Amino acid sequence: MGEFFQALFQHTFLQHALLAGLLVSISCGIVGTYVVTRRITYLAGGIAHCVLGGMGFARYMQVVHDWNWLTPMLGAMFAALLAAFIIGWVNIKAKERIDTVISAFWGLGMAIGILFIAKTPGYGEDLMAYLFGNILLVTQGELLAICGLDLFIAATALLFHKQFVAVCFDEEFARLRGINTQFFYFLMLALTALTVVLMVSIVGIVMVIVMLTLPAAIAGRFCLRMGSMMALAAGLCAALTFGGLAISYSPNLPAGATIIVLSGTAYLISLLFKPR
Amino acid sequence: MNNTDPIQIKDLNFSYGPVSVLENANLTIGDREFISVVGPNGGGKTTLLKILLGLLDAQSGSVSIFGQTPVRGRKWIGYLPQYANLDSKFPVTALDVVLMGLLGKTRTLGFYRKSDRETALSMLARVGLDKLHNRPLSALSGGQKQRVLIARALVSDPKLLLLDEPSSSLDDYVEQELFDLLQELNKELTIIVVSHDVAYVSKYVEKVVCVNRAVHTHPVAEIDDNIIHDMYGEHVHAVRHDQEHGHG
Repeated sequence: MGEFFQALFQHTFLQHALLAGLLVSISCGIVGTYVVTRRITYLAGGIAHCVLGGMGFARYMQVVHDWNWLTPMLGAMFAALLAAFIIGWVNIKAKERIDTVISAFWGLGMAIGILFIAKTPGYGEDLMAYLFGNILLVTQGELLAICGLDLFIAATALLFHKQFVAVCFDEEFARLRGINTQFFYFLMLALTALTVVLMVSIVGIVMVIVMLTLPAAIAGRFCLRMGSMMALAAGLCAALTFGGLAISYSPNLPAGATIIVLSGTAYLISLLFKPR
Repeated sequence: MNNTDPIQIKDLNFSYGPVSVLENANLTIGDREFISVVGPNGGGKTTLLKILLGLLDAQSGSVSIFGQTPVRGRKWIGYLPQYANLDSKFPVTALDVVLMGLLGKTRTLGFYRKSDRETALSMLARVGLDKLHNRPLSALSGGQKQRVLIARALVSDPKLLLLDEPSSSLDDYVEQELFDLLQELNKELTIIVVSHDVAYVSKYVEKVVCVNRAVHTHPVAEIDDNIIHDMYGEHVHAVRHDQEHGHG
């Protein structure tokens, strides 16, 4: 642990990693609270896995066709928003079973990603980074992008807090009071998609849902209101990311997986305490 | 009868695909009436409610709420949904829930105004819960939760109060308190209570609307075992539980 703090003062990559983790925690706390109270965990998981399609496509275009502007993060953002919109739309309009629709996109997104990555020259190390995250490789450019998205998510959540609370609690009633609930449902899915993109760089596609739900789930056991639940969830997410990073450093463990194990343990421990 | 009656339904038909739910329904409810909508499960009560709220569109016939279409008229309706449909662990306080009733009236961006909080608090006082405004919803009793939802329905200053099975999860004593409150509110508002319990509500309401594909309106004086029998069939006896209960 001491070695971690020493390294933290010396290495910019570690400072970047930590900063990225702390910034992402803000969105994680806000959006995680929506996801947990509105019960769309599985939907968030589906969006996360669709992200691989976008990242694989972007990386392929970069390497094979020199589309250097199309970074994997940009591809991820595009795929996540598209997936959120389509799943939400199918859910509202087609009256299909939502979990079936999500499953279809979950697999489809991943498969498209794997096909593109297979056809991209190289050793496939990208795939591992996308799936399991690599917080230590966060670049300055990505840090700026994280900052921008974070601001957007926090500002939107703040401006429309009362609408989001009402839509999560009782959508029908909100609609009767003249709220455009479909708009807020899609906005919520869009915020979820953007948060998923942010978290992919930290913990990777496979483990996004854990980070999105567990801090909010722990907070939900003790908080009485949406606002405090968001704040506590964000704090927990930051603490767990910091802790996971610190623990993983000396033994050279994968940071993403360490953060997840720590989060899961924290959740299980929280179950031992009496909820509110 | 005039066209600004709280509710006027003419020759209404509604079906889900081939399944006819409401047939040739006619219904007029006048100002400050206190009526109950009764009928068996699957008889069309909920469908009728959703049509009144503009959540479902009828295939034919007309529906007017204070002379407007349901979608335009629903700003005058205070609605209390069935509590079972809500998440009882949701992190909100009693005051938070009541404030939701002001959406559409308050500003769009940012948090609720101070005046909104005052309005909501006064409405909680009206249902006797002002001291519990900071309590989480999950910590309130069944009767208190219903009162919070009534305060939420009332806070937008409606002219018509629509309650869907408000007493389904309450014990007799709390149910009576609830109906006493409704009777008090009826001095200013038209009230419609959806209930499966004809006998109980009939001592409070003036008219009973029976919904079982057809819609019939009976003055309470007419309600007897024959009508109950027609509504529910012979397997159900009059659900007349302790009528004398709690009379002082």
